[in-house]
Amino acid sequence: MNKVININFQGRILPIEEHAYELLKEYIASLQVYFANEEGKDEIINDIECRVAELCEERLKKGEVCINESSINLIIASIGRPADFEAEDGFEQNSSSASNIPSNNKRLYRDEQNKILGGVCSGVANYFGLDPVLVRVLWIFLLGVNVLGYFILWIAVPSSSVKEVGGLRKRLFRDTENKILGGVCAGISKYFGINVGIVRLLFLIPFIRLIFHFRNIHSFQFWESPDFPNFIDFTFSPGALFVYIVLWLVLPEAKTSADKLEMVGEKVDLNSIKNTIQNDMAGFSKRAKAWGSGLYKNSKAERQSNKSDNNDKKVEHGPLHFIGKLIVILIKIFVYFIIGVVGFSVLIALFGIGVATTSVLPLKGFILEDGMQSFAAYGTILFFIWVPLIAIVTAIIRKIAGYKKSNKWIRTSFVSLWILGWVCLFYLISSLGNSFSKHNEPKEENISLANPKVNLLEVTDLTNGKYYESQSFQISPFDKYGNEDTLYVRNLRIRIVQSKTDSFQVTVVKLSNGKSSKEANELASRINFKILQVDSLLYLDKGIAIYKNNKFRNQYVIMTISVPIGKSIKINDHGGNNINVNFDSWNESWDKASFPYEKNKVYKMDTKGLVPI
Amino acid sequence: MLHKVKSMDVQNTQSQMRKGVLEFCILSIIQKGEVYPSDIVAQMKVANLHILEGTLYPLLTRLKNAGLLNYRWVESVSGPPRKYFVLTEEGKKAYEALLKTWNDMAGAVQLLTQNK
Repeated sequence: MNKVININFQGRILPIEEHAYELLKEYIASLQVYFANEEGKDEIINDIECRVAELCEERLKKGEVCINESSINLIIASIGRPADFEAEDGFEQNSSSASNIPSNNKRLYRDEQNKILGGVCSGVANYFGLDPVLVRVLWIFLLGVNVLGYFILWIAVPSSSVKEVGGLRKRLFRDTENKILGGVCAGISKYFGINVGIVRLLFLIPFIRLIFHFRNIHSFQFWESPDFPNFIDFTFSPGALFVYIVLWLVLPEAKTSADKLEMVGEKVDLNSIKNTIQNDMAGFSKRAKAWGSGLYKNSKAERQSNKSDNNDKKVEHGPLHFIGKLIVILIKIFVYFIIGVVGFSVLIALFGIGVATTSVLPLKGFILEDGMQSFAAYGTILFFIWVPLIAIVTAIIRKIAGYKKSNKWIRTSFVSLWILGWVCLFYLISSLGNSFSKHNEPKEENISLANPKVNLLEVTDLTNGKYYESQSFQISPFDKYGNEDTLYVRNLRIRIVQSKTDSFQVTVVKLSNGKSSKEANELASRINFKILQVDSLLYLDKGIAIYKNNKFRNQYVIMTISVPIGKSIKINDHGGNNINVNFDSWNESWDKASFPYEKNKVYKMDTKGLVPI
Repeated sequence: MLHKVKSMDVQNTQSQMRKGVLEFCILSIIQKGEVYPSDIVAQMKVANLHILEGTLYPLLTRLKNAGLLNYRWVESVSGPPRKYFVLTEEGKKAYEALLKTWNDMAGAVQLLTQNK
């Protein structure tokens, strides 16, 4: 069963089977390629089309219901295919016809009928009269060196369909209609008949490797000068960018419909022709517009100057024009490169933020109230951070894969989810701000010391070194030690003042924020910060314990140590983990000047203040 | 291999000879009167000179562009008008020149091949 369509072909209405119509289109496309360089190409093709239409009509007059496949083939055969023209008398394309004349001469063709990849193996098999399977097996055994050879043969050896459809030779063009940068990838993908995405990915692999090169996502290595050459090295070493630029400069742009057909090579199917014609029409209207505006400018210019205008234009298209073009290309490359680098870093930063905030999530129970605040936190992380991240990644992948239209629904849903993320973020910030809005009334507590008369007081941690070693990941102000129920916050500040008596004195002020002053007072009173003296050592608790039922509201402990004159003090530091312990030492008289206090050093209290020993 | 090269040369020469004569033949057919391209093919077929219409059209266009031919739209009984070709004055001169050359050549060839 065949569908019959009516076509208006050179002023004649012809009923034609769909399949025959496709053959006819293919034939005309092959003529267009064959006569591409011929003067009066359009006229020749028009004449041939007229003749085909006439022959079709003759057949219909003889009683055929419609033009079917066999009759169109007969008509085409009587007029001749491009391959026949070459074989018949080679009236043009002398060089190529010379090689084509010995038609019985054996030539190596890629076999389009029995191809797996490019038909090279089966073509070789045909040439030597072997079984294609044998050649393929041999090829796989020799895998490695011959991959390159395969691609060379793929490019160099003409396809067997050249013989059938006509002189459609494949050529590598830049496909500027599907370009992102210069259309090199698109052209290559057309040539090999593979997805653009694959080619782009191959070109991007060096850049992708660059991302994996970042061991530490949170530190942007390439912004630091010592690593910058490394970064460049990594990008340029595979030469992808270089190859791209070279191809960009070397490959011609596919401009005419013949070029476009040559670019795709033998795959002249209905779609490609339709696309070519449609694109040509679009391109033509553009050219017409450009021509029109050019005409307008010219006529304007002509009023001022004379016909020399035309000559000037030709000169402009010389080397200067080329250099200008080159500069534009270079600038384009540079801009895209910078955009790429910035884009990657933003993406990585977003990713880092996403990972960081998500990893903080287990701590949520210590800070946030249940209910709305928790939901807002989840919403913020999910919608405000991860949604745009995913959206950007999707957009990049879609762009690389060559999808032209972004899905409207996807875009709207991404945007609306992100707006929801903003709402969550604002709610969370305002709600948390409210939770932290009030302070408690500070009260000074005296800590009784067991032995206040020592000569040297060493302030040290209760958990002497035990928890300190393998902790590398911290999110300030939280320390990871703690467990599911308890979190220790090291919000501690130590003040050192001169004692008025002859003994050491320690006072503690507990501070907290809260929704209300009452809550703040309550939370401050619940702070349980142990201080214990054993001989000359003053042990401090490892932090302020926060439980899930009394949330973190910036609980704070200010410890004041009064040192008598003539006695010494030392603050021990174990491996730099006391980062949240702030040393702030002053006497009433040096209130304003900050005092550079060093840890692990003994200071003696003088009448004028602390003096290092 | 050597044999192959020789046969290629022969074919090449044959095609060159054909090519040279083809235009002359076409001109000589058109010179007789206004003619439709498919009639040219038919007349040549009668003379045992085969040519594809696909090769004829480019040749005609080329000759027309060279100013040797001109065409006229002639209304046909059915369908749109058809292109009929005629010789221009220049074409007639070219035909005369070619005819003279051909007669000289044919005579020479005849003489040489018979004397063998």
